[in-house]
Amino acid sequence: MGDQAQLLPGTLDLLILRAVSLGPLHGYGVLLRIGQISGNALLIEQGALYPGLFRLVRQGLLKANWGTSENNRRAKFYELTVAGRKRLREETANWNRLAAAIGAALGARPEEA
Amino acid sequence: MKILDSLRFRISNLFRRAQMSVEMEDELPSHIQHRADDLERGGMRRAEAERRARLEFGGQAKFKEEIREASGGTLIESILQDFRYSMRSLRRTPGLTLFVVITLAVGIGMVSATFSMVDALIFRPYPVPHPSGLVTLVGTTLDTSYEDFSYREYLDIRDKTTSYDGVLAFAQMEAVGFSANAGETPRIKGGMLVSGNYFQVLGVQPRLGRGFRENEDQVPGRDAVVVLGPNFWRHEFGGDPGVLGRKVRLNGADFTVIGVAPESFPGMQIFSHPDFYMPLAMAQMFGVDRQKNFFEDRDDRQLYLQGRLKPGATLQQAQNELAVIAKHFESDYPKVNRGRGAFVHTQFEMRTREDDDNWKFIVVFVVLSLAVLLVACTNVAGLLLSRARTRTHEIALRLALGTGRGRLIRLLLTESLILAAIGGAAGVLIGYGFIEWFHSYQNVIFMTDLPNALPFQMDKRVLVASLALSLLSAVACGLAPALQGTKTDLVNGLKGAEVDVPGRKRLWGRNVLVVAQVGASLMLLAASFLMFRGFRHELLEGTDFNKDHLLMVGFDPRLVQYSAEQTQQFYKLLADRVREAPGVEGEAVTQNVPMGQIGQEDFDGLAFVPDGMQMPRDRQNFTSLMDTVNEEYFQTMGIAILQGRRFQKTDSTDSPRVAIVNDHFAQHYWPGANAVGKRIRLDKSTGTPVEIVGVAQTIKYTSASEKHMDFIYLPLAQHAVARMILMVRSSGDPLELVQPVKDVIRAIDPNLPMLRTMAYEEFYLNAAVRGPGIAVKLVGTMGAVGLILALAGLYGVVAYNVSRRTREIGIRMALGAGRPDVLRLVMGKGLAMVGIGTLIGVVMGFGVERLMNSMLFDAGGIDFVVYLLVVPSLFAVTALAAYVPARRASLIPPTQALRYE
Repeated sequence: MGDQAQLLPGTLDLLILRAVSLGPLHGYGVLLRIGQISGNALLIEQGALYPGLFRLVRQGLLKANWGTSENNRRAKFYELTVAGRKRLREETANWNRLAAAIGAALGARPEEA
Repeated sequence: MKILDSLRFRISNLFRRAQMSVEMEDELPSHIQHRADDLERGGMRRAEAERRARLEFGGQAKFKEEIREASGGTLIESILQDFRYSMRSLRRTPGLTLFVVITLAVGIGMVSATFSMVDALIFRPYPVPHPSGLVTLVGTTLDTSYEDFSYREYLDIRDKTTSYDGVLAFAQMEAVGFSANAGETPRIKGGMLVSGNYFQVLGVQPRLGRGFRENEDQVPGRDAVVVLGPNFWRHEFGGDPGVLGRKVRLNGADFTVIGVAPESFPGMQIFSHPDFYMPLAMAQMFGVDRQKNFFEDRDDRQLYLQGRLKPGATLQQAQNELAVIAKHFESDYPKVNRGRGAFVHTQFEMRTREDDDNWKFIVVFVVLSLAVLLVACTNVAGLLLSRARTRTHEIALRLALGTGRGRLIRLLLTESLILAAIGGAAGVLIGYGFIEWFHSYQNVIFMTDLPNALPFQMDKRVLVASLALSLLSAVACGLAPALQGTKTDLVNGLKGAEVDVPGRKRLWGRNVLVVAQVGASLMLLAASFLMFRGFRHELLEGTDFNKDHLLMVGFDPRLVQYSAEQTQQFYKLLADRVREAPGVEGEAVTQNVPMGQIGQEDFDGLAFVPDGMQMPRDRQNFTSLMDTVNEEYFQTMGIAILQGRRFQKTDSTDSPRVAIVNDHFAQHYWPGANAVGKRIRLDKSTGTPVEIVGVAQTIKYTSASEKHMDFIYLPLAQHAVARMILMVRSSGDPLELVQPVKDVIRAIDPNLPMLRTMAYEEFYLNAAVRGPGIAVKLVGTMGAVGLILALAGLYGVVAYNVSRRTREIGIRMALGAGRPDVLRLVMGKGLAMVGIGTLIGVVMGFGVERLMNSMLFDAGGIDFVVYLLVVPSLFAVTALAAYVPARRASLIPPTQALRYE
């Protein structure tokens, strides 16, 4: 728990998009997938996921359909829309740029500045 | 169709939203089941797994709220949602909510009351169709920019101008003896002489019958017709449509009712709403000057002119045109028109004429009430700011969960909007109460039998303005706290620490609040003290004459068709007989009484030239206010004669004309010399000579707030006036003399009505003390409310600021700072703020005082006493506000202080 990093505001949406981009998932599945792809390094409150999902649906980045899960339970499955795929690409590029820039800044030695 | 479509869309959206919340009800349990499946697979028993899964998930209700928020939906819905949420959070802090609402209500109430006044006096349009096309034509002289016109001048202007669709004329509303039937004793009603085209030019369609015809105003005395005002028709005739064609008696003559004005047209004037209208051609039946011929004399100026501009005609064109006509008047009639011009004004210009005090008072009130509102708003902003601080954690959580900052600001603004809406509604009620309270003084303000009324009301216009103001103050109070609150540092915010990020900006906001409060409240106080002092000052000065033990009774023998000789005879007889009546110690007959300007009866003006004085080329004469009095007047009223003598029986129609002037007049025209024995000539340098036989003490003549002015008295015997007032001096209660006086009059002429019969002291108190007292009370209330709000707000903000530094104080003390150091530190800051505020307040206060001194009255310089009283108390409150929490903080053991919060 102590090793888990706090989420920066706004990054939850990006993680959800990424998780869903690998195939349709229900809510709990999204949570598992994020844990899996982040190596369990990120902490997400379970309930906090849903406002994000609903928001993305409203923005037209995700679409949702009811279906049956691998546990044979009724569940709502989320998948990326075209707009969602596009947004994921853009946000990923943005994030990489930002991360690179911050990384470079933090890694810079004083005398180079 | 677009509107329908969007409506349909919105409704279907609402359904979609209902659907979503149903899905949510299914989806969250589904999530928990899946988690439980996992836990079960890990070896847990099913029941235990489900319990655990629910626990991990956390409070569903809280997330549902956020999901609802995140899924947004229609604007309306998210606003409703904000509303629900805000109401809930406001209910959580009822004390604070109540305080904020009351504060706002007081501020908005003050402003909406003064708004209704300023609207009535300045902005409310004429009650006619297309009011903006109406302009007012005025004459200008060397002494005034608002001179009236004579009948002849009106005809010329009406016929020669081309800029107007019509030019109308009317005289001031006057007291008319009205009886519905021939046998009845006449009662006093308000009638107004108007030109034949009056209703037609205004565009007012009578609700019954017709307006005047143009030809009804051409032959003097021919057409005795009358149009009734709507209120009069309702009250006097019960709204009977059969009134048309009926004969009524006005000043003893039969007039035929030809029409009734509509409800929407109570009259063109702000304060007076005529009971009926008579055509100008009937003027000789009413209050025209008997020394002049209304229809012929070009200098018998009693008419107000208004015109309706033709479409396309500009004000400038109309002004140029009228100026040319005035030039022609000047060259054609040099004797009566020398130095005279003419000008055209809009309604707004007429309502804000510089020689009118009423609107200036109201503007001062508006400024002061806005200052109260400013103080109220800063108070509320301060409170909301501290409230926002304590919600840092909640806000940080919402931000972390991805709620947009804009959305959060909207949420916080919704709260202040709700506060402002409740406060605004309560404020309108307070304003309404204020206006009602003001209206309860109506009889004090207008002590007259005429249909005068205060025009203030909470109408649509004022409501809209108050609403707009409430919204504005909501944004003003709420925006700063919302912006600051949502700029929370997430990491610290989530840790639950209530700390400031170091920085100047954050403190700056609150400091400005303190400074603004101190400044505004000081200004308010300065203004109210000044008014209070100004009125006291005025009341004490120049009112050194008899007011008690005097009964006043008005007479107008024109109501019973007396000739000029009969009238003179009557007043002589009246004075002689009343003097002999039981209980009477003295009498006087006067055209008007001091402070008698209230209502419609004004002192007349008198044009004169001091004998032997070389008049400037462009000036024909000077004017002064005057009164016509009998021999006993000065004695009975206790007005001292400083030089010379009073009027005597020997001053009669056969003897040389005499006058008494006041001290101010004497000093004005013959500085350093004795005025007694000097002569003035009436109207022009070759006019009738009048010798000054006495100099009277200068008193207040028209109002408590006037500056010293010239004044001339003429003896009744030499200057016949129809409408006079009898003053009777009693040893006991003056009202006990009503019956004896009545007996005397019944013996002379039982048909003559006694007008306005009251104790003069009562009249005087109403006119000079209670009337202005209303203004003093109004301003005093605003000052007091402003100060209380400011002190409360000041205490709150300073105390809050200091208590937030508890931890810092703990650290300082842990590092060895002594209590005195700490106190000095926190109090110094607050006192510095108050110091700056005081400086600003003093400067603004000086400004307001100067403004009020120049606009309203001279209370003489600047009131240092106010500042000596108020400034230390502000400092004391601030010191206390800083001291109490600082002391508490310094008493806490450092170890505990560090853990504080």
